[in-house]
Amino acid sequence: MPDYIKPIYNAVLNFDIDLVKKLVSEAIDKGIDPIEIMNEGLSKAIVEIGDKFGREEIFLVELMVAADACKAGVEIVKKNILDSEIKAEKPKGVIVIGTVEGDIHNIGKDILKTLLETSGFEIHDIGVDQPADNFIKKAVSIDAKLIGSSALLTTTSPNQKEIEKKLQEAGMKGKIKTIIGGAATNSEWAKEIGADFYASTATEGVKIIKNYFKGE
Amino acid sequence: MRAKLEVLNRQELDDIYQTAIDILEKIGTNIEDDEIIKLLKDNGCRVGENKIVYIPENVIEKCLKTTPRGKINIAGRDNSKDMVVDGNQKYPYIISHVLMNYYDELNNNYRTITKEDMKRFITISDYLDTISGVWMCTLMPDFKKMYSFYEYELAIRNTTKPVCISSFEPDSIPPAYELAEAIVGGKEELMKRPLTVAFCEISPLTWNKYGCDMLKATAKWGIQPVITVETPMGDTGPATFAGNIAQKIAELLSGLVIVQLLQEGLPVFFVVPLETFDMRTAQICLASRTDYVYGCAVGQIEEYLNIPFFSPVSPDSKLLDMQEAYELGFSLLPRILSGNKGIVIHGLDQTHAINNELLIMMDEMILSGRRMIDGIDVNKETLAFDALKDVAGKMDGDRRNGHFLNHKHTLKWFTKEWVPRRDAVIDKYRREKWIEAGSKSFLQRANEKVEEILASHKPEPLPKDIEGKIEEIYKKYNIPKV
Repeated sequence: MPDYIKPIYNAVLNFDIDLVKKLVSEAIDKGIDPIEIMNEGLSKAIVEIGDKFGREEIFLVELMVAADACKAGVEIVKKNILDSEIKAEKPKGVIVIGTVEGDIHNIGKDILKTLLETSGFEIHDIGVDQPADNFIKKAVSIDAKLIGSSALLTTTSPNQKEIEKKLQEAGMKGKIKTIIGGAATNSEWAKEIGADFYASTATEGVKIIKNYFKGE
Repeated sequence: MRAKLEVLNRQELDDIYQTAIDILEKIGTNIEDDEIIKLLKDNGCRVGENKIVYIPENVIEKCLKTTPRGKINIAGRDNSKDMVVDGNQKYPYIISHVLMNYYDELNNNYRTITKEDMKRFITISDYLDTISGVWMCTLMPDFKKMYSFYEYELAIRNTTKPVCISSFEPDSIPPAYELAEAIVGGKEELMKRPLTVAFCEISPLTWNKYGCDMLKATAKWGIQPVITVETPMGDTGPATFAGNIAQKIAELLSGLVIVQLLQEGLPVFFVVPLETFDMRTAQICLASRTDYVYGCAVGQIEEYLNIPFFSPVSPDSKLLDMQEAYELGFSLLPRILSGNKGIVIHGLDQTHAINNELLIMMDEMILSGRRMIDGIDVNKETLAFDALKDVAGKMDGDRRNGHFLNHKHTLKWFTKEWVPRRDAVIDKYRREKWIEAGSKSFLQRANEKVEEILASHKPEPLPKDIEGKIEEIYKKYNIPKV
């Protein structure tokens, strides 16, 4: 890694959002290639952060703040280049995630999103309280290969079944896989509704999703 | 605000202390050494029949004045790691005691300690930040004699932290002293960073020949003496706390007086357990209910006397089981919270055995104890109004969707407030994950940590000149290599 990129990489690894912003702006002002800042500094740092969390070497809050620091850096880079110039690595997979209709819990979903983004996936978060149709529409529109839905309440988990039903009706069952999670769910429930995968925690979800996309 | 346990009021402390003074003045101390009796007599004590010496209050006061109060230094190879007890320390110093047996619970093996066992145990103590130093008293049969020298040498080879020794042989003091002198860099430096040697008085109120010899040997060499008294409740001490503590203080002060008369200005401190004589089994119990009560008071007694009053934590359990965890926790926590300056950890089996995994348990308990001492800080930042305002201000349409998980306030305060471990020694997984990780017990996880430490941590080797000095000492004192 070039010496002029290393401080940016280190700032992400030190969870220092303000320093990342400052260093990225300064580097761009000095004429350093923004693409190089993104690919060599920010992306590599966030992958390392994700790996560290996976090895339980850093805490979740450190991962979350580092991810925000990385995102802040990317925003600055993006302002300085044209979209066509972004030659960032192809994402490992495109995924739609959200919390099902009637359910407004977002923390688990947000953790999974951060973990997946730091692992190199492209995540489309449709938010909380989302009807089944919205998951499918979004997935079809962006050619996602996986839908992740979260349900924290026993009263809302039937809406995960609704996603399976709508996928079937749209003729997409099997083409777009599903993963479910949240406090109201378990592996039996996943089996019962025909979901492809079940994850009891965000970290387990990442493991399963990585495995799935490896085989794709 | 700092947490601090207080169970005695000023009047009660005064009453206990005054009783101790009365004991020395009116009941007297039995001293089995004519030279020391003469010394006491020459300095204003009354000598009665049967070698009983009565020490008056003015002699005690005079000797307390010449004792460096509230300031001791327990030294090791690295002076930055010395235990300096001067009233400024935030947490108690924790000393791991190396004892005569090693208990390997995972392999169901209880054995006489070996040099390898000692080496591993001291290496782990060297590694753990929560352990401040080691205390050696193993009486390993292979050593045959000169125990204190062998044990001291073995300890300083495996840790740069402070090392204390207990001694039953005045003959082993000179070689240990010479080694200590080489380690700190000369006689003058050794006055500031002395060798620390512990020995016992015999209760009730007796300095026998061995104790007197040790008092004289330490005074002659300028070694920092640690006086220990054992007055099991109902056995060699009264069955009441107040009387038992008063007797202990009297016995300790008798030692302090002799030390000061032998060598004015020599720093001295105490290591004091509170045992109970179990009237059911006719056994002395160490970590019993009485010990927990005493633990609540020991910091106050220490502060009152202004002399370090280290106290041992000595579980009676024979296994690393629930009794062990109970005795360890209940014995340790009151001491920490009462402000005790130094705590000596005996492993298990009534001071007879040590175990490496237990050090990992201690590490966790001490971290929690330290955090409890720190208490709860209340200020603008910890009240977190601004952080909450920020989080609550995050909206998804008309719905709040913020949380603290990615907030700078959490990043800054989470580790300070919780002091979380970065390893998985204490299991915090959900059940499925715990099963996936092998359904391991605490002992198995602690054992993995022990092996990880031993594989990665290498204590700083002894400098070459010290190795040379050790060779010289072996030759000079004709000590056989073991």
